[in-house]
Amino acid sequence: MKKTLWERIWETKTGYLMVVPTLAFLLVFQYYPAVSGLYRSMFDWNAGLAGNFVGFSNFIELFTDDDVFIRSLKNMALLTVWYLIAFVGLSTGVAVLIHRIRNEGSKYFFRLFMILPVIIPAVVLILLWKFIYDSTIGPLNAILIGVGLQDWTHAWLAEPKIAIYAVMFRNFPWIDGISVLILLAGLQAIPVEIIESGLLDGASGWRRLRYIELPLITGQIKLLIVLTIMWGVQEYSAVWAMTQGGPIDSTQVPGMWMYFNAFRISRMGYASAIGVVMFLITLVATILNMRYIRSQEY
Amino acid sequence: MVTHSESLTGGPPQNQSRRLYRGDGWRTLALGILCVLMIAPLVMAVIISLKSPSQFTRVPFLPTWPLRWENYEFAVQIISQFLLNSIIASGATVIGVLLLSSLAAYSFAQIRFPGRTFVFYAVLALMMVPASLTLVPSFVLIRDLRLINTYWSLILPWIAGGQLIGILILRAFFESLPGEMFDACRIDGASDWQIYWHVALPLTRSMLGVVAVLNILGTWNNLIWPTLTLSERKMWPLTPGLYSYMEQYYTSYGRVMAGLLLGSIPLVILFVFTSRLFVEGLTSGAIKT
Repeated sequence: MKKTLWERIWETKTGYLMVVPTLAFLLVFQYYPAVSGLYRSMFDWNAGLAGNFVGFSNFIELFTDDDVFIRSLKNMALLTVWYLIAFVGLSTGVAVLIHRIRNEGSKYFFRLFMILPVIIPAVVLILLWKFIYDSTIGPLNAILIGVGLQDWTHAWLAEPKIAIYAVMFRNFPWIDGISVLILLAGLQAIPVEIIESGLLDGASGWRRLRYIELPLITGQIKLLIVLTIMWGVQEYSAVWAMTQGGPIDSTQVPGMWMYFNAFRISRMGYASAIGVVMFLITLVATILNMRYIRSQEY
Repeated sequence: MVTHSESLTGGPPQNQSRRLYRGDGWRTLALGILCVLMIAPLVMAVIISLKSPSQFTRVPFLPTWPLRWENYEFAVQIISQFLLNSIIASGATVIGVLLLSSLAAYSFAQIRFPGRTFVFYAVLALMMVPASLTLVPSFVLIRDLRLINTYWSLILPWIAGGQLIGILILRAFFESLPGEMFDACRIDGASDWQIYWHVALPLTRSMLGVVAVLNILGTWNNLIWPTLTLSERKMWPLTPGLYSYMEQYYTSYGRVMAGLLLGSIPLVILFVFTSRLFVEGLTSGAIKT
């Protein structure tokens, strides 16, 4: 007895009712803004005005006539490469170190300690580092003077050539607790038989890491690389809180420049175009992510 | 996973385990130094938070007596308002997220309605839309809905965005439950609403905890959005609140540090009560996406 489509829909009406609230929220607060962002990126649109359709001229202006945007892209690339080194490279090293600790007690302690940067609110760390970099009363300059390196002191966040590096090197020693925990979970999931048979074949120390452990956690490493790239492209709260993009736009990143255009000088259409460019960059990263997931399955 | 790590400590013969783990000393030292460096800014904050301005001018980075606890008394008066705002905004959001995402996830996992796959992918596709694309239009939308300077301007968009990861996690969990159990309930005459409320939800309590923790972490740390939709600083949640507190009292270093430390406490408390879910959520949630 084959049922018609309408009968099946009527029978499962509860299923639709249960997703209606979700869909309503998504349509209003996710789909509509996303489509509107794509659409409005083609307008010369100020807050409160209807705006004129200008085609792709916002995008043309971004890439041909906006030095600040080009600089923000360069800063974004610099920061993202750095976040990859710090969040993925350094975290892998720390995860391997913790994994190889023999004493269960200290191993547990270090694992617990890695949660510290996660549970201290990010804004608190950013603001503490803003204080550390302070040119007159900050401890960084005080330490440099204390060890006799007066020449090395700087107004870290106020000198155009240095400020971006100050933003970059905040949160020294740059351990990302989430990455360490994800990698550690991967290392601990490696069956001990594999390590043992490797040891019987004479693989120890460095070679055990290079040929056995790292290949078996490539899944986690690739995932962290993609997440870090997506985060690095989007992130601007550190710049927002530490320098607001200054001095003279030397720490500008795309997100900050979008914020500035939209909410300081009210060029909403232009800001939407920056948002679209950032979306396209993350889309490429996401497609790479999908390809990686597929390669994992086969 | 657990069995592997257990056999790692007890299983292999003595000489092999020694080769497996030699050289604990320098590893402990290296990690120990790392931990000291990680905690150094917080130690600095604690020391400075107990100083009066003149004590700070004389000896900035070493402890001085008497300890000025009144810095904390000052900070708590201002921080508590921000904390209350955060609890309202993040609390309402997490309730909405748990309700909406568990309902939708149950439907996706257990009810075979026509078009289910399409609708699910329509939800999933939004995971690829970054906040940068929607920031400006969302602000204009909130303004046009006349929600500026209300907590709804935080809660409604946060529910919409936060339910995505919840749907993913909970759907995977509901699908892993035995289908025969649900069929048995249906044969006994239970409606899907009853099964959802009396069977599925109680079974998924720990997963709901994971979703809640992830969601609270996400909304709690949001710095910029509240500053756009709430023009009155006394309505700001804790994260932007701490930023404005530091701006306002920047030169009273003791008070600033006391405020930043107090502002860190709520998440630490959340962590103490949900540490297992915390680690589970951070690792499992990230890997499943």
